[in-house]
Amino acid sequence: MITSTHDTVELVIPCRPEFVGVARLAVLGIASRMPFSYDEVEDVRLAVGEACTHAVERAGDTSATIRITSSISGKALVIEVADDVPSGTTPAAATEEAQLLSEAGVDQQGLGALLMEILVDEVSISSHATGTTVRLTKFAPE
Amino acid sequence: MLQKKASSDWTQDDTETLFGRFARTKDPALRARLVVMHQNLVRYLAGKFVNRGEPLEDLVQVGTIGLINAIDRFDSERGTKFSTYATPTIVGEIRRYFRDKAWSLKVPRRLQELNQTASRAQEDLSSKLGRPPTIQEVAQRIGATEEETLEAIELGNAYDTVSLDSKMMHESDSAPLSLAEFVGSNDESLEALEEYGDLDQALEKLEPRERAIIVHRFFKDMSQAEVAKQLNISQMHVSRLQNRALVQLKTMLKDQE
Repeated sequence: MITSTHDTVELVIPCRPEFVGVARLAVLGIASRMPFSYDEVEDVRLAVGEACTHAVERAGDTSATIRITSSISGKALVIEVADDVPSGTTPAAATEEAQLLSEAGVDQQGLGALLMEILVDEVSISSHATGTTVRLTKFAPE
Repeated sequence: MLQKKASSDWTQDDTETLFGRFARTKDPALRARLVVMHQNLVRYLAGKFVNRGEPLEDLVQVGTIGLINAIDRFDSERGTKFSTYATPTIVGEIRRYFRDKAWSLKVPRRLQELNQTASRAQEDLSSKLGRPPTIQEVAQRIGATEEETLEAIELGNAYDTVSLDSKMMHESDSAPLSLAEFVGSNDESLEALEEYGDLDQALEKLEPRERAIIVHRFFKDMSQAEVAKQLNISQMHVSRLQNRALVQLKTMLKDQE
């Protein structure tokens, strides 16, 4: 089950809500290649879902895409979620959830990042003029 | 999914004031108000875990425990936003709930059930529509999302057979256990204990001298000659008493069954 070399899986999806489920499904299959417990697999899946949702919310109605690159090794699963939504793009309309949360003094995007940090071992987010990349790392159990 | 009331009446400033007052007074009424104010946060976070097969309301309740703990410990003068402080506590409580429920052992069953429901729906719809149904149609029929339906169809079968060597439930602080290690077997000493229990009662009913012979012969491994010497009777006598006692014991134990 554990691969000794790096196996890479790449998936490019339209940056739209209905495709986030596709990414989550693929990640389920990919994370299952690691010696993770069910809980850990679900944690990775949720984290990737959050990263995609973050991109989708900023994209609004554009033809943007999300590239999900998963690298599987014996040591860790590293998943990069890269969108091509220019940084500084703000959502045309906040979702109902985001509105309710902001009324309670909660920033949804910050919450998403926080959630990812709880769920996986390492999170790094880098924003460029051309897009944002979220890098998620989950180490294999000892 | 989120509740519209409660939170919207309060701005961030009000929240801080309330936390300050609660920190000083520990007034339960203030705490209750803070809990209500942050229900949307709990609901939002609990909703993220809802596809793991537990009812949302249960997760909200568990998450609220985390919220209350966070409210009790929050120090508003540290400059951290409450939501930032509370989120790890709330999520931690929800994740622990899954861990404690041994959820990881239940997932395969849930998927298998969903897989069976999905294949039944597929057959039903096929004969009804005169063509194989789409995933959307199956999802609608079984009341699941498309993602869940695909997952169930794709993975439900895979989970049918699990290798005995597959690793399960490994936490970072303990070595992974294989499934084989969870498979039970008959515990011989436990069974023996049960039988000794019956034997004990039967022994109680023997005459003292016969009981002594049985105990010496079979529990202390003494020879008939040794027992005879100890009880100051002939070996023949020991032999006779022993045989009579054994017959009695056999009868008593048989009656118990």
